[in-house]
Amino acid sequence: MTPRIWLLPATIAALSLVAIPQAPADDFYKGKTLTFVVGFSAGGGFDTYARLVARHIAKHIPGNPTVVVENKTGAGSLIAANYIYNQAPKDGTVIGSWIGPLVLQQVLGNKAAKFDGRKFGWLGAPVSDSCVCALTKASGINTMDDWIKSKRPIKIGATGPGSTTSDVPKLLQAALALPMKVVEGYKGTAKVRLAAESGEVDGGCWAWESIKPTWASGLQSGAVRVVLQAISKSLPDLKNVPLANQYAKSDEARALLEIAGGTYSQGVRPLSVPPGVPQDRLELLQKAFMATLRDPALLAEAKKSKLDIDPTDGPTIAKMMAGLYGTNSEFKSKLTTLLIPGKKK
Amino acid sequence: MVDILDALFQGLLQLFSWKAFALQLTGIAVGFLVGILPGLGGPVTLALMLPFIFTMSPVEAFSFLLGMAAVTATTGDITSILFGVPGEPITASMIVDGHPMAKKGEAGRALGAALTSSFVGAIFGALCLAIAIPAVRPLVLSVGSPQYFMLAILGLAFLASLTGGSVTKGLVAACLGLLFALVGLDPISGTERYTFEALYLWDGIRLVPATLGLFAIPEIIDMAIARTSIAKADVGKIGGVLQGVKDTFRHWALVMRCSALGTYIGIIPGMGGAVSQWISYAHAVQSSPDKDRFGKGAVEGVLGPGAANHSTLGGAMVPTVAFGVPGSVSTAILLGAFLIQGLVPGPSMLTPEAKGGNLSLTFSFVWIIVVSNIITTAICFLFLAKIARITQVRSTLVIPFILLLCYIGAFAENNAFGDVMVMLVFGALGWVMVQTDWPRPPLILGLVLGGLAEQNLFLTIDNYGMDWLGFPSVIALFVLIVLGTFYPLFQRWRRKRNEPRYQQLAAAVAPQAKEAGPNAIWLSIFSLFVVALFAWALWQAWDWDFRPGLFPWVVGFLALPLAFLQLNLDVAGTVKTIGHGLAKARDQEATRLTRETIKISAWILGYFVAIWLLGFSAAIAVTTLLYLKLAKERWLIALVLTLFAWASFYGMFVYLLHVPFPEGLLFAWLR
Repeated sequence: MTPRIWLLPATIAALSLVAIPQAPADDFYKGKTLTFVVGFSAGGGFDTYARLVARHIAKHIPGNPTVVVENKTGAGSLIAANYIYNQAPKDGTVIGSWIGPLVLQQVLGNKAAKFDGRKFGWLGAPVSDSCVCALTKASGINTMDDWIKSKRPIKIGATGPGSTTSDVPKLLQAALALPMKVVEGYKGTAKVRLAAESGEVDGGCWAWESIKPTWASGLQSGAVRVVLQAISKSLPDLKNVPLANQYAKSDEARALLEIAGGTYSQGVRPLSVPPGVPQDRLELLQKAFMATLRDPALLAEAKKSKLDIDPTDGPTIAKMMAGLYGTNSEFKSKLTTLLIPGKKK
Repeated sequence: MVDILDALFQGLLQLFSWKAFALQLTGIAVGFLVGILPGLGGPVTLALMLPFIFTMSPVEAFSFLLGMAAVTATTGDITSILFGVPGEPITASMIVDGHPMAKKGEAGRALGAALTSSFVGAIFGALCLAIAIPAVRPLVLSVGSPQYFMLAILGLAFLASLTGGSVTKGLVAACLGLLFALVGLDPISGTERYTFEALYLWDGIRLVPATLGLFAIPEIIDMAIARTSIAKADVGKIGGVLQGVKDTFRHWALVMRCSALGTYIGIIPGMGGAVSQWISYAHAVQSSPDKDRFGKGAVEGVLGPGAANHSTLGGAMVPTVAFGVPGSVSTAILLGAFLIQGLVPGPSMLTPEAKGGNLSLTFSFVWIIVVSNIITTAICFLFLAKIARITQVRSTLVIPFILLLCYIGAFAENNAFGDVMVMLVFGALGWVMVQTDWPRPPLILGLVLGGLAEQNLFLTIDNYGMDWLGFPSVIALFVLIVLGTFYPLFQRWRRKRNEPRYQQLAAAVAPQAKEAGPNAIWLSIFSLFVVALFAWALWQAWDWDFRPGLFPWVVGFLALPLAFLQLNLDVAGTVKTIGHGLAKARDQEATRLTRETIKISAWILGYFVAIWLLGFSAAIAVTTLLYLKLAKERWLIALVLTLFAWASFYGMFVYLLHVPFPEGLLFAWLR
């Protein structure tokens, strides 16, 4: 071997002169631009997470691509989801961030959703939304027992169908037969908080990761308390708050709660690439994604921004999304009645 | 008390550490630029700047961000006045009277008035922030959905005073605005309303492209036809800057009232500057004894919005600090900064440092707003005379740039190509409305308040059934609404009664005579179009459920008879005109007008087609160069200006901001 070592520089020189036919996945991203397409406007939660990942992912991808973030807003991120599936380049240079429960909407027959959730390449999700219900002290409901026995429907403020704030309480209501009225139409969770503080509604159900920092004053003073967790595993800082599935009495109830604790938890903020991205490149991106979310620099930044990091890997998300397509038709029509407005019949 | 004064003083001191101050100046510089450029809004820029504050202390972070937020409206006002293009969404109302002033050669006066009233408004808002914080809780919590609904209706009731010459036209225009506000997916019921199955229209018609179309496009057409500079009259009055300052003090009461109005609307979460500017404009008109001057360059129409869009920020900070419930879009993003800095909005922001709170930081917000405005206003005044000269530049050199600002402004707010088309449709509508003497502000106010009214009405009914009708606050607002609607009518009636009888007769004939120009037939055609539009809207809404259907029905049934009445008036006018043989009076000037109008319309549409085919980047270069050359500018000027237009577009929006401009269709085909 040794005598031929002189061949090496010559080979490299020769190779650099001719175009290399198949670039391995390793070199693909060299000099390329990786674009994050976010379905919500700059400054919101989706945008914040996408930009956080975007700032750190380049160093975990061989070839260190330039990374940019674009906001393609509209129709509750459905425009972005459709764009990723149908129009975006299928070479792994575009990553979409849009709200995961749209896949459930598609399964339940939303005609405007022009995609098949099984065919996206799922990179994973940076965080799970842990949906909990927080009620005000003024509501008089201190525990789940109070709620179950309540003579009046407890008013839960919500933004609108398709969102966690609306869909999770409706699933809880159906599964646990809770006395509840979901009041929809508030523009964002800040407005729900305000309505709760003024006594217009009794509280709301959405991600603990958002309630904890934004409603900190209410939680500290005891004016607001969390009475129920709509997830499958108890959160460390809510050990004394019961889980919804403790109260489930039938298989159907458990199945409904599984949707609340899955699609509306781990499945809310997934990152995806279009169908047709080569398998090795998808795997590379999945690995890079998980490595990025363990990156100490990212974690330090997230800590400073009070952003929780609790990643789910791509294959898990893919399995969850595919699972939605296996729903039997009876359960499907139950979900449709609950979650899709205008399709009550 | 000593604690509070100490915190107030500490808050001021904190600003002047060299790092905080340098950051504040940086923020101001960024805000300055962002304000001037349409399409680059304050909120988006704030969001993009958030990652930079990780390494800053709280005072530094807010010096930077709040400094930026505090000045965008100031320079946005300048763009609105000079070019008739809103520099910021919250400065759109400034166009209505500010731009006509610029056209009359009073740009200096308008800018002086805008800057001074802005300054007063900003300081007023900041002071309210300082004073109101301890008392804010009950104030904000007293506004629930019933009160929101009533406030939105109150805003609409102000329309009666905005209607200018014809009450019917004003009301129908407002209904048009309400109708446009209904476009989109009603998410609660899942009903698509007037969306033509386009996903883009699910989110409804956005304010920025609609305002750009309604106000900026007619201005461009007007300027091209007149073939002069923006200022048609001689700009001998640039010294009018001082006049504008004086105007502010002459109308001191109005400026104070509008500052208060802006602050109050800021404090109510969810309304913000986009609403406050129009309500104060309406108030400026309503409180003036001579309403006919408005829309033609009345300085009160500049003072009111100027004060209000600046005082809103101080007001909007109040609920943000006190509850973590942002009062406006900008403060919603500032709330993100609170979380990054580990600050908990609420009582701790109002507790002195000695007791573990952040009171002096809260007071530093007040000082940041004050200091930023002092600096910005001072800088603007230094350059005002120069800035105002832009209105003297000949139109052929200005038009390509205004067109560029319109197209980028429409697109870049939301990176949606549909917005560009909305701008063109509203441009056509706006031009026709100017030609046929229909007022545009009521339409915009309807568009702004329509969604708010509908959403809160249903929240109210869901929460309170019918009980809310008996709430004292609701009744009080109802009384205000009745007064607001009928007072201007009463004023009008009283004035008419005091006029001698022959004048009254003349007034009765006058509107008809004015309408009976060569355009008479077009008046009827446009009214017919409006009638048809409402009829179609009602027909579409016929089988909708109660929830999505209520507003379309109410608006339709209100508007249809009114529009029909207007059609009758116009047809009567047309018949009379034809009877008098006026329609024949078409001279050479009229022919030239028609030709020029077609020409500039072709340019506007051509620009759009170029963007569609070539993409923004190439289209800007090609269209600008072609326009300048065909307008017989010299090669050197044409090339330099084209390069300047293209380079500033590319540097700012593509290189720095990565705005995802769509690829030209031509290139897509070639690939």
